[in-house]
Amino acid sequence: MKETSSNSVAAPVPRRAGAGLKPKHYQAIIEQQPDIGWFEVHPENYMGRGGPPLSYLERIRMDYPLSLHSVGTSLGSHLPLDITHLKNLKALVERFQPGLVSEHLSWSHGYEWYTHDLMPLIYTEESLKLIVEHIDQVQEFLGRTILIENPSSYLQFRQSEIPEQIFYVEAARRSGAGLLLDINNVFVSCSNHGWSVAEYIAAVPHEMVAEIHLAGHSIQDLQGTRLRIDDHGSPVCAEVWQLYQSYIEANGALPTLIEWDSNIPEFPELYAEVRFAEEFIYRAGESRHEATL
Amino acid sequence: MKPLSELQQMFCDGLRSAAPPSPVLLNEIVDDGLQLERFNVYRNNFVVLNGDALADMYPVIKRLLGAEAFRLLATAYVRDFPPMDRALLLYGERFADFLAAVPELSGLPYLADVARLEYAWTAAYHADDVVSLGQHQIAALPPDGFENLSLRPHPSMHCISSDYPIYSIWLANQGEQMEETISLDEGGSQVVVIRPKVEVEVREVFPGSLALLQSLASGETIGAAYAQAVEMDAEFDLQAFFARHLFDGTFCELQNQPVTD
Repeated sequence: MKETSSNSVAAPVPRRAGAGLKPKHYQAIIEQQPDIGWFEVHPENYMGRGGPPLSYLERIRMDYPLSLHSVGTSLGSHLPLDITHLKNLKALVERFQPGLVSEHLSWSHGYEWYTHDLMPLIYTEESLKLIVEHIDQVQEFLGRTILIENPSSYLQFRQSEIPEQIFYVEAARRSGAGLLLDINNVFVSCSNHGWSVAEYIAAVPHEMVAEIHLAGHSIQDLQGTRLRIDDHGSPVCAEVWQLYQSYIEANGALPTLIEWDSNIPEFPELYAEVRFAEEFIYRAGESRHEATL
Repeated sequence: MKPLSELQQMFCDGLRSAAPPSPVLLNEIVDDGLQLERFNVYRNNFVVLNGDALADMYPVIKRLLGAEAFRLLATAYVRDFPPMDRALLLYGERFADFLAAVPELSGLPYLADVARLEYAWTAAYHADDVVSLGQHQIAALPPDGFENLSLRPHPSMHCISSDYPIYSIWLANQGEQMEETISLDEGGSQVVVIRPKVEVEVREVFPGSLALLQSLASGETIGAAYAQAVEMDAEFDLQAFFARHLFDGTFCELQNQPVTD
């Protein structure tokens, strides 16, 4: 990857297990220096003018590679991208030199206000063209390639005419972006819409995938229909571990993130989950190679 | 076929509305008999996720009202004032005014000012990192012409003046248990919220001190600010003020005002 700033060097994110960095774990991480390959944060949580979150991140960045996983760019929105937000994002990229930068295949504003939740896209050629333009614009602005993550969703639009996995891969292919494959999201969406997990994953070219996400989800009962809710509030479920294991056994180890964003446990429980993912990576026999997107 | 913009705006209308989504919107969703329930996952997430951000910013208000009442008010607030910023760090800027306008809360007149204090706490938490004046700079103060100096308070500083004992209320709700009973007869309080270093500090000050700090923050000289402080509080003691606040990180810059006459 080409550096755009020469002030410091971006540490590549290794093909190891990483964790979503949470404020309640800052102290434990600084004191214990746990053996975790890397951390990931939402840059939007570090867009204050100053304050402890930025200082903690700076401190932790001294010891670990970092990935910025954006939630606020709203790539799929019909509205133009917000240049102020892109500037804020770029400032963080320059300051923290992340090994990876990613965003979702989603949208979060239809008017001047923001949903702060990831809304489902309509899979049409019109919407594909738009998101490709927006990804291009972000990559050009940041001067680097980004990764695009497949969404979790609870409904499908009747107007959609392209299968999600095709849309997802095509958006990255046309814009030159890489893929962040969220295996929990694949499982959740396939289960919610009656799609085939095997077909979904088979449609995603593994050489385009540079990062994997894993998280827990919950189950809601809708008049006898099970809807899986991607709330990142529990351990990764057995089915998703199994999908993950098959994926890295077939395709080799990749940087793998454990996301835990609600009902956040004490640090040891999160650490155990990260170590569990790391064990699969060791077994897949390809650890400690650096990601080279 | 609807254009993307129209569909996304219709989706947002349904998300924000207290009423169930329109049949036109539901008709855009693949029909499996559960369109309403599926859409409601998003509608519910919208008020819950943004309501959680409010709960993080206003823990004392949540405690004073109870979780259930807080959730109802937060939901109404999210629908009335959805986030206008991509980052949620300072979401909830208008919550104090919102609470003040809720008729059912008129029996809790101190609530809005406590909310102002909590907003100030988070704003100070994310404010610019600026180094406060050190001992050396203060020691170098010229002995004469002190009143013509301009002393700039730290940019994280927020001043709140209330007719109610909001400092005591806030303080009593910081621990695990609330045993203390606070009487509104304690009267008003003046509170400074500031983050000179890492931690946010909440300090109760004299009325004159608050007036002085507000004047200094607006760029007045020490002399002019002192005049305002005395007008507000006849017993204001400048020497005592400096003894307490010159070395506690309140100020970050010292300037000689150019003579303007």
